[in-house]
Amino acid sequence: MVSLKEKFEKIVGADHVSDGSAERYVYSRDMTENPPREPQLVVMPSTAEEVQQIVRLANEERVPLVPFATGQNVGGLTIPQVDDAVIVDLKRMNRILNVDEEGMYMVVEPGVTFGHVRKYLDENHPNLRYTYAISSPFTSVIANALLQGLCDLSTRYGAMAEFINGLEAVLPTGEIVRVGSAILGDDNWFGRYPLPDLVGLFTGWQGMTGIVTKMALQLWPKKPFTRHFALFTFGEFMTTDLLKQIVRADLAEDAGALSFSVVKGLIGMPAPIEAIEGEPDYGTFLNLSGVTRLVLGGKVRLLEGIVNNSKVKEPKNLLIPFEAVARLMSEEAYGWVDFPSDSFKQLTEYDGLTWMGTYIHPRNWGEALVKGREIVEKYGYELMAFLKPMKGMHFCEFKFIIRFERDDENLKKVRQCNNELLDLALDLKAIPYKTPVWSAKKLHERADPNFVELVRRIRDLLDPNGIMNPGRWGL
Amino acid sequence: MTSDESVIEQWLHSCVRCSNCKYVFREYSPSCPSGEHFGFETYYASGRIWLAQALYKGELEWESSLLDPIFACTTCGNCESQCLAPHSEYIVDMIEELRARAVQEIGGLPSHIRFRENVVQCHNPYGAEHHNRNLVETHSLPLQAETVYFVGCTSNYRETQIRDATISVLKKAGVDFTVVDEYCCGSPLIRTGQLDPVNEAAQHNADAIKDAGAKRVVTSCSGCYRTLSRDYPKLDIELGVEVVHITQFLKELIDKGAIVPRSTEHRPIITWHDPCHLGRHMGIYDEPRDVISTLPVDLVEMETTRENAWCCGAGGGAKAAYNDWSVETSKKRIEQALRTGAELIVTACPFCTRNLRDGSSEDGPPVIDITELVGRFI
Repeated sequence: MVSLKEKFEKIVGADHVSDGSAERYVYSRDMTENPPREPQLVVMPSTAEEVQQIVRLANEERVPLVPFATGQNVGGLTIPQVDDAVIVDLKRMNRILNVDEEGMYMVVEPGVTFGHVRKYLDENHPNLRYTYAISSPFTSVIANALLQGLCDLSTRYGAMAEFINGLEAVLPTGEIVRVGSAILGDDNWFGRYPLPDLVGLFTGWQGMTGIVTKMALQLWPKKPFTRHFALFTFGEFMTTDLLKQIVRADLAEDAGALSFSVVKGLIGMPAPIEAIEGEPDYGTFLNLSGVTRLVLGGKVRLLEGIVNNSKVKEPKNLLIPFEAVARLMSEEAYGWVDFPSDSFKQLTEYDGLTWMGTYIHPRNWGEALVKGREIVEKYGYELMAFLKPMKGMHFCEFKFIIRFERDDENLKKVRQCNNELLDLALDLKAIPYKTPVWSAKKLHERADPNFVELVRRIRDLLDPNGIMNPGRWGL
Repeated sequence: MTSDESVIEQWLHSCVRCSNCKYVFREYSPSCPSGEHFGFETYYASGRIWLAQALYKGELEWESSLLDPIFACTTCGNCESQCLAPHSEYIVDMIEELRARAVQEIGGLPSHIRFRENVVQCHNPYGAEHHNRNLVETHSLPLQAETVYFVGCTSNYRETQIRDATISVLKKAGVDFTVVDEYCCGSPLIRTGQLDPVNEAAQHNADAIKDAGAKRVVTSCSGCYRTLSRDYPKLDIELGVEVVHITQFLKELIDKGAIVPRSTEHRPIITWHDPCHLGRHMGIYDEPRDVISTLPVDLVEMETTRENAWCCGAGGGAKAAYNDWSVETSKKRIEQALRTGAELIVTACPFCTRNLRDGSSEDGPPVIDITELVGRFI
């Protein structure tokens, strides 16, 4: 009798299938507090056709599949939720298939990372840029877009799913489908409308509705004139109020605010970093740009005016040109604004990393930060909040990052802390993103039951045999 | 080894598997020959660290399917150059400790066991007849001298042109040197976790060097250089003499005028391959380039150099156990070399020389040692 492993080997080659204990261990977990579960196999396809054969085989054999691109989601999202799952590691599918200069988009495979996009564009299309996340440089751009993550253009354009022009996916039943304008051909990935917007069948679904094998993502012209500033502020409400003013005035391409502890870490302060009374609470990196020097200069003056006005309430608010920041810290500081992924190293202190992140209504943003801070401080963790105004201030993001040593005691404590942070977020009607299963279940308890039922029905319709990432999102 | 300290235990709570180790920082070209070839997360440094931690904590049982992820690594150290986490300098040490534990728990790989037996029986991993001290007679060397040339097994029993070129250059430079009855330095054993015969061989070498009355050991092998300099002190083996690599010594000889390269009409274009054991493991990047800069050649660097240099694929026992992958890795380096337009590929490690040659085509640029290059111009 031919074993399951042999059947997968026939599809992708023996070198790209493993049931070794090493692979089963490493793919059973991630850096978060989410509990591990071993897969039975790991397979590594290199083409959409191989993915299709894998999915068809999984249907025949009723084998659960869990897609994996680079495993950087910080949400336990590639950890199998049922026994005997097969991890489909997509990193061999790592081609940038096309960059359309005129339509300003790129078509990529799931193994393509932010770092590789950055290099490719710099070398081949220096006038275009993609948007970059504050994650490891080796995060999959497709995974981040599918998970509706944030990036360094989110302040203006919103979550990363907004950047998707269309995609190709292998459905749970094995068909290869396209959504978006490329239904009319390979050179036509210009957008999603006017069509039924079926991109939404894949974004936010955490791999339950198929395996995305190709995606077209928007690129943007690099602005000829840019300046960066660091804004140091005090108090959660005053900080968020000031950011709201700046963003509503359409001044910043990006505004990423960090607890001052994170800023101190960036300049080399060793862990654990404690907040010191009297120091600013937040440091915000602001990216301003203009098509002419005059436009940029006008934005700078307006920004300085808004910050100066804020000093009526808080005289210590401080706006510093980034050149001064770089002189004070190091030239490395330019890397943080140029490619935010470079700042991710600060989060590699231990073997554990987690966060509870949400998108939230602007009116609840300040309160979430005040109360979240109290929770984090109660548990004795470093204060590492990250917040971002989203989509021109239509909504906001906040998360509390915890870096920790993954021993039993800490895992328990981190789980409790994240639980409390999630309860707080849900009390304030925030929507948690990149939700681990425990978090999704809590969301279900409070969400409109008809929404949860609709999600379930769509999932069941697309995946009648329940092979795609079963158990994910608490379904 | 004598040290009881576990580097795995020291870094038991490090590495979020962020993947920085997989690629050259800010260049995004591949850094890890093993991960690049095998693909699974377990074949990158971060995967190995997680395995080491899991095995240490008892979360994973020892069994034979672990051997490939543990041993299919050249220990080139490129991961250390790219990693930005606090444990970055200790990744190779963790992998070597993991290997030693694997050998203890489930035994090593057959090809590694073979060269261990050869070292025990013949004092070299090739099983060749031990004849090192015959060089004294062959080359009319004194029994005692200020400098000991530590030849290394690969130069003495395989890549003998490196040994001969080194002896020739040292003689022409008027260096007072000899060769001792050296045993394998232990590098192949340490790199593959087979530690038990190492101390005896190391002590023999220390005694032989002491008996020669030397003040300095110079070696043309990057692996020996790393082992004598970095590993012997960990074994509590004190040589009591300065240990230098031939590239450092050549620079010194050129600087003081003992070697005066002559000029030639044709200046060949060459490229330089940084051996991992010389560069990333020991931080020697400038000296070979300084030497080359005094020669009538034009150096064109490859796209990955110094701490980011792509490995030749031979180290860490990879050549012995995984020859196909090892040669595939070297072919990638050769492709980089070809893109420079070089007429010669120059390096300073007999292992690199051998594997780069194995990865070259017959009509490609020859791979030579830096001593051979210097020898052409004096």
